[in-house]
Amino acid sequence: MATEAIGGDPALAWLVWVLPFAGALVIPAVARLRGSPAGYAAVGVALASALCAASLLPGALGGAEVHHQVSWIAAVGLDAGVLADPLSVIMANVVAWISLLIVIYSTGYMRGERDYVRFWFWMLFFIGSMQLIVLSDNLLQVFFGWEGVGLASYGLISFWYRDKKKDHVGTEGRTVLGMLDYYSPTHAGMKAFVMTKIGDIMMLAGMFLIFAYAGTFGFRELVAETAWAAEMSAAGLLVPAFVLLFGGAVGKSAQFPLNEWLLEAMTGPTAVSALIHAATMVKAGVFLVARIGPIVFALGAAGLLADQFFEIVAWTGAITALLLATQGMVNREIKKVLAYSTGSQIGYMMMALGVAGLSHQYADGYTAGFFHLVSHAMFKASLFMAAGSLLHVVGSRFMDQMGGLRDRMRKTHAFMWAAGLGLMGAPFITTGFWSKDAIFAAVYESGGWWATPLFAIAVLTAVITAFYTMRMIGMVFYGPKSAHAQEADKAGLLHEAPLSMWAPYGILAVLTIGIGIIGLSAEEGLHHLFDEYLVHTFGIHSAHGEPSGLPGFLSALNPAALGASLVAFGAGAGLGYIFYVARWADPARVVGSNPLFRGVHALFLNRWYINAAIYWCFVAAPLWVSRAVYRYFERTAVDHGMNIGLERAAGWGARVVQGTQTGVSQSYLFVFGAGILFVVMVLVI
Amino acid sequence: MTEFALLQAVFIPLLLSPAAYLVGRRYGTGAAMWVAFGTLLYSTALVVAAAAQGGAEERYPWTSHFGEFGMLLDGLASPFAIMIYVLCTILALYSRPYMVHKFREQFAEERGITVSHGGHSGLEGQEGLDEYVRAKSGLYYALYMVFSMGMLGTVLATNLIEFYVFFEFMLVPGFFLVALWGDGPRRRIGLMFLFWTHAGAVVLLLGFLMIGLTAGGFDFEAVRAADIPPDIALVSAVAIAVGLGVKLAVFMFHVWLPYVHGSAPTPISALLSPAMIGIGAYGIFRLIVELLPGAFADMAIWLHVWGIATMIYGGAMALMQDDVKRLLAYSSISQMGYLLFGIGSGSVLGMAGAEMMYVTHALGKGLLFMTAGILIVRAGTRSLTRLGGLAGKMPVTAVCAVIGALTIAGVPPTSGFMGEWLLFYGALETALEEGSTLRAVTFGLGLLATALTMSYMLWMLKRIFFGKTPEHLSHARDPGWHMKAPMMVLAGFTVVLGIYPDIFLAGIVPYMGGVLGA
Repeated sequence: MATEAIGGDPALAWLVWVLPFAGALVIPAVARLRGSPAGYAAVGVALASALCAASLLPGALGGAEVHHQVSWIAAVGLDAGVLADPLSVIMANVVAWISLLIVIYSTGYMRGERDYVRFWFWMLFFIGSMQLIVLSDNLLQVFFGWEGVGLASYGLISFWYRDKKKDHVGTEGRTVLGMLDYYSPTHAGMKAFVMTKIGDIMMLAGMFLIFAYAGTFGFRELVAETAWAAEMSAAGLLVPAFVLLFGGAVGKSAQFPLNEWLLEAMTGPTAVSALIHAATMVKAGVFLVARIGPIVFALGAAGLLADQFFEIVAWTGAITALLLATQGMVNREIKKVLAYSTGSQIGYMMMALGVAGLSHQYADGYTAGFFHLVSHAMFKASLFMAAGSLLHVVGSRFMDQMGGLRDRMRKTHAFMWAAGLGLMGAPFITTGFWSKDAIFAAVYESGGWWATPLFAIAVLTAVITAFYTMRMIGMVFYGPKSAHAQEADKAGLLHEAPLSMWAPYGILAVLTIGIGIIGLSAEEGLHHLFDEYLVHTFGIHSAHGEPSGLPGFLSALNPAALGASLVAFGAGAGLGYIFYVARWADPARVVGSNPLFRGVHALFLNRWYINAAIYWCFVAAPLWVSRAVYRYFERTAVDHGMNIGLERAAGWGARVVQGTQTGVSQSYLFVFGAGILFVVMVLVI
Repeated sequence: MTEFALLQAVFIPLLLSPAAYLVGRRYGTGAAMWVAFGTLLYSTALVVAAAAQGGAEERYPWTSHFGEFGMLLDGLASPFAIMIYVLCTILALYSRPYMVHKFREQFAEERGITVSHGGHSGLEGQEGLDEYVRAKSGLYYALYMVFSMGMLGTVLATNLIEFYVFFEFMLVPGFFLVALWGDGPRRRIGLMFLFWTHAGAVVLLLGFLMIGLTAGGFDFEAVRAADIPPDIALVSAVAIAVGLGVKLAVFMFHVWLPYVHGSAPTPISALLSPAMIGIGAYGIFRLIVELLPGAFADMAIWLHVWGIATMIYGGAMALMQDDVKRLLAYSSISQMGYLLFGIGSGSVLGMAGAEMMYVTHALGKGLLFMTAGILIVRAGTRSLTRLGGLAGKMPVTAVCAVIGALTIAGVPPTSGFMGEWLLFYGALETALEEGSTLRAVTFGLGLLATALTMSYMLWMLKRIFFGKTPEHLSHARDPGWHMKAPMMVLAGFTVVLGIYPDIFLAGIVPYMGGVLGA
């Protein structure tokens, strides 16, 4: 047992993830008590966990770290441990506090739902697993949390396991390349679990490769002594191992090509979607890259170049960012638009963490990616919870069945604007602007041939992001009420959500703007913290950029990035405003006006045909092969051939043997003699 | 330590089996169940106590031809022995409602009474029903105890002939249990079981005779000490592998298994699959890896490849099944492939992982076969197309089944992951050490096979427990405690073991290290 604790009590770090698990275990018992206090118990547990996380904050902001280990699998010599360094403590706080708000929101959202015990169990399990990923000090333990979030997402995505029509996603009867684009909750849960499992397999392979050379899973141990990396590099396995690890992040964070599960994950209750998209699960992949990135970069400084790793991370992020943003522009379902947006924004984070490793200013890209994670967590949680309110009230997941809701749901309208502006990156007043701008700058300044195309993709994605966000707000709150909304209005259903629901997303929306106003100094604080952390822990010294020459507080900004941010916001939001808020033009008519637009629209709407292709190659084809083998080999050759064939042969043999029982002693003697001769010959030979 | 602990653990169930028969006849099913349960519980306690003290060894004089009659509980045998007896003990409870259901069904069949499914209400008050059920219960529990004894004896044996005797001994009650109370053409399937495993056992015996006669003794120690010429060692190792391969139901020797697991009374399926077939893997460890290390070094890669073929084939066939029990049977084939894959890795951790997989499979598949039995009794069907939406109707069963499926799929925090990661890590370690491309490829395929495993497991869960509930299942409910309690025990155990695997690994890893000289 090794203990190293500076700047905090390790027990509190353990409690951050142990408490939610313990809570999950006692929830079924608590639920039996009078007055069904399960929801309040869950809020209490989430709050306690968040307070533990907060207690670690002062130490971490001072640059201290808590590292505490206990013996785990002694037979193999492995320890379990917590590692609360600045990275993990900030992440743990983001997860804990946003989860707490989502849990509070859920008490309203899930009111009157059957099976709430199961719901609370999985929510707490989800939070516990995520905190386990964040605070673990070694990869094997991370993998426990990793699979834990997979399991929890399976349980929650298929929460409405009765597969009623209203709980499906997609449009009933719609097919793409012959594959249904309409999914039941239980199908979606399975899809998420199996698809992320592919990523997990890669991650396991990567972990094992590293363990085979380093003999440890520990993050700190991997940095302390790097002879293993030299050996791996000589064997040509260093980059593949880390790329395989990144494969796990690709699966969990829904990056291309394992992005398709994220859309169907929308079958879960909206509170779950908020949790998956803002605080847990998809952020796990980004966090993992933030965990291992500095290790790889530090190896690069030691002469073991692993640039390909960072290139792959950056390009995966860039492709995903654009790919998913384009699809977000055309979808009818509000939750799916938000889901596409999440995948796309995560792509930004990956891009930043990737280009960081390609430049001399590692801390810039690293901070930008992580800052974007934090700001995205706030506004996306807010948007999802607000969308949940809309769904609750309108009773439809389709935006074209909403419309004109702004006078009926004033608070939701205002909060969605605030959080939406964050997503669009509205200049100078939102967190989203500062974090996105920092990513632009990091990409722009990274140098190398990739800088220009990546920058172009980043800016184009930002235009599209602003556009689809505006489209969403416009379609939901502006224009005339749709027929469906009018009906709901007549029935008196259109009204503001209760306090327990609007307060959580209100708080986050306000924070998006509130922190946005001081965003630049917040980012600089984070930058300073990470700079110290990287130097102290990994020995990574980042070069410091020159002041840009812009006046006043803008002097820290890169002029090209700033200009691009402003233009992207203006173009995207402007177009969105024209089509969907002010409604000066009909988008359907524009799309229908020429075959090119129609083709592009179909491409986006059909998810670039990637989902259908995956179903053909990895579901239909294996099933077809299995069926053929089952029918023609297992049933025919093996079963009939061996089993029944042998049975017949045995019957035939019995008849032959019967025939030899002639009672003629001469023939018996002859066979007997031949037998002896045979045995003797065998022995002689 | 209790004197003769292992001897008692093995033979008390055999000696008391007539008592179970008589008590069953006289006092009914419940009494027979308690006799079997009590006896097996006592034996299990002996085994667990001995294992907790770091193992045990007992030797008794036997005929001079064969050597000594020994019993050895070491790091290798302990997990096998404990899992076998734990399963036997708790399944004694589980058997009662299932078998009573089955006896009543057969009673109705024999008398030509048609009853509507569910309560068997048409049977109540029938002349002779009570005696019928009592007599059958007595016989069932008697055979059950003998079957248990055969399995434990096999994993404790220290002598080739002793091993063979126990190995065949478990077959006899196994045959009767299937032939008397199986589903479908039970006598034929019982014979098929007998024929295949017996044929395997004969090949095994040939291998035993070859090494025994060459070594000049049948005691494991004598064989280990003897200098067996490599070609004889290899031929007999192949014979042993083939003989045990039939028991393990590896690819191409798996023909009998879907029939037998599908037909056997479900508590027996839950013993056959998790406990019995894995004894083949035990045999490979004990007889090939330990006794014929030279031959094993030559064979390892073939076992490895055979393992991967079995994993993928079994998994792909499991996807195609509609009958829950046949699906689980193919899944067992696939899981035995994992075991063989791990053994073939030839590394300490890979082989330790393979043994953990036995434990894991025992827990996970035990849970799932019990689920299948509950479906048969409570839902009246085992066809996946006729099932659905049962999660809300039988929540305890559903939770246990999900835990079982996750165990098989190797998802932490179930014990499945603890087996799998060691297994695959070991495979990779050897691949890197030898620089073998073939091994690197099998490693990758093996990891991908876990996705296949997960797919068929999740799909099965979806078709049983999720979706719409068909009309005919509207009255399905969770079963009584006889069936629930055993499942909860296993479900709890798999999670405990998944978080704290040292319970078994502390014994397994040093043993494997010792055998491989690492």
